[in-house]
Amino acid sequence: MASKRKTTKYTGKPAKVLQSEPAIVIEWPRSLAHRHTYGKLSPFFKGLTEGKLLATKCVNRECGEHRLWLPPRADCPDCNQPMVWEELPQPIIGTVHTYARVEYAGAGIELTTPYFQIDVELPGVCTIFKGYLQHGTPEIGMKVKACFRTEDPSNTILDMYWIPVPSDADVRS
Amino acid sequence: MITLKEGNWRIPKWNRKVFAVAGGLTNYRKFCPEMKIEEQAMVAFRQMLENNDLRFSPVEIKGLVNFLACGSFADHFQDQLLCEAKVTDYLGLDPMYDIGIKTGGATGGSTVLTAAMAIASGYADVALAIGWERMSEVDTRTGNYYIATAACKDFETRLSRIYSAYYAPMAVRFAWAYNLSEETRAKVAVKNHLYAYYSPYSQQPGKYTIQDVLNSPMSTYPLRFLECCAMTDGAACMLLCDEKTAYKLTDKPCELFIAGGSHTLRVADRRDMEIPLLPHETPEMYRGLRKKEGQRWPGFESFAAARFAAYFAYRMAGITNPLKELDLVELHDAFTISDIQTYGDIGLRPYGQEPDYIESGDAYFGGKCPANLSGGLIGTMHAVGATGIFSGVECLWQLQGKYDKFHGDRRIWDSFGKKKPEDWKSLQVPNAKQALWISHAGVGSHVTAGILRKAF
Repeated sequence: MASKRKTTKYTGKPAKVLQSEPAIVIEWPRSLAHRHTYGKLSPFFKGLTEGKLLATKCVNRECGEHRLWLPPRADCPDCNQPMVWEELPQPIIGTVHTYARVEYAGAGIELTTPYFQIDVELPGVCTIFKGYLQHGTPEIGMKVKACFRTEDPSNTILDMYWIPVPSDADVRS
Repeated sequence: MITLKEGNWRIPKWNRKVFAVAGGLTNYRKFCPEMKIEEQAMVAFRQMLENNDLRFSPVEIKGLVNFLACGSFADHFQDQLLCEAKVTDYLGLDPMYDIGIKTGGATGGSTVLTAAMAIASGYADVALAIGWERMSEVDTRTGNYYIATAACKDFETRLSRIYSAYYAPMAVRFAWAYNLSEETRAKVAVKNHLYAYYSPYSQQPGKYTIQDVLNSPMSTYPLRFLECCAMTDGAACMLLCDEKTAYKLTDKPCELFIAGGSHTLRVADRRDMEIPLLPHETPEMYRGLRKKEGQRWPGFESFAAARFAAYFAYRMAGITNPLKELDLVELHDAFTISDIQTYGDIGLRPYGQEPDYIESGDAYFGGKCPANLSGGLIGTMHAVGATGIFSGVECLWQLQGKYDKFHGDRRIWDSFGKKKPEDWKSLQVPNAKQALWISHAGVGSHVTAGILRKAF
């Protein structure tokens, strides 16, 4: 048996030594792609690519919460029953609840910095929806309009953004 | 609207008393290549066993331990699943059972809570709460991104990939709702960097002015770098016991109470709800609170998780007026704004008047109830899994009258390769009897409130 066994060979790529004093520190590369599902929220993300904003709503009569949820969730947290989809009528006008100017973003950021992240109140929605302002300077109480990245979509939440109201309808990124 | 029923309001109760007797910390630094994480855990463990005036030898104490709660925030950072098994083995505590605890920034607090539950239930007589993080495993911006995966991955993470961007909207909204100035926020940073100056453990000590803070580079407007916590390599641990063992081990045990609260990860989803009142509060206090359009509680201004943690912890410990009955607090000052928001949640001020806790001087050494004399997360450390243990240990040492022993001893400074400042001063709170510490996760997703009471 032993004579038939091939010699075990090292086939890896030597780890790069980043420093050797006061202790050896090596580079440990990581490159991974996860398979992330949007699950029951898939209609929402498909909607963005079609220029639609879809929210969910609890239709259980016994439940105390009948306002819309954005971000949507498939099931109601109050009564635990499945919710239904409802498209928001266009134009979608919201109010800036609060904002932040992101200057130093983490690795992998897909927006050019600095940019404004805004949290938007929408009529009939029980939550406050986070997004980004494509141009202009936000302030609390300012009206903003939802726009969609239907051409060459990112297939992420970044397919939706806001612009100030009133605004030049021709402004494009 | 979240509505709670009778069972939800039940006040937690230990089946038997729980005591903290000793603690250990490490030299907190941004990048600590000379030690692996289990080696850092050993440093904290050794300090806990050897330097806390315990009556038994380290080996004898190890012979009493029968449970470990092990906190670490993100497997991304350690890049080692089941790291707790490596630490337990490294400390020589096999085959005692260890449970890994993970509740984001509140991991340390949850770790102490878990160890306390083991004592209170009778599962263990002596339990070790130990936590760690090695955040330098990746570069800073990757670290920022890793932390931002503790925002909602589908709806928030891609919108900034850094945690300051989830607190900055709260800072803007809070300033609008309750008249918070940038200067008051900066004062929190000045205070905590200064207190870190007196601590040998600290990573970001400094004597800054308000202008220095306001002129420092912006992370996410309005939060500047000097208003943000450290990213740290390090560990911390605390030894918990039942009453009989506590008095056998030390002449300075402190009784422990700790409780927690949780709230949805996305601030967006925090619908308006009734404010649960702390023992000293009345509904009248908050009649005019939501006077501006669109205001809700907790909304972007407050943390329901912190309010619930305090609601339960105060009643568990029989505290009726926190500002009067607490001699010091250690808060989770991940950002200046979250520190300020918490003052209302835990009743150091009524909601809407949080800035006054700083402006009145109450929050300073010598004030009514000083906060973060350790230097906190802004000045001293945020090795996430260790943080909520570190804050508790600093409270414990204050109550035991050991601030000077653990911060003023030149040998500790020397062993860390640091120079004890010529103008070092003691931040020992005279005759401190009761202290509270907060451990806080996410944008307020999990919060524990721990209370230590002098029992000697």
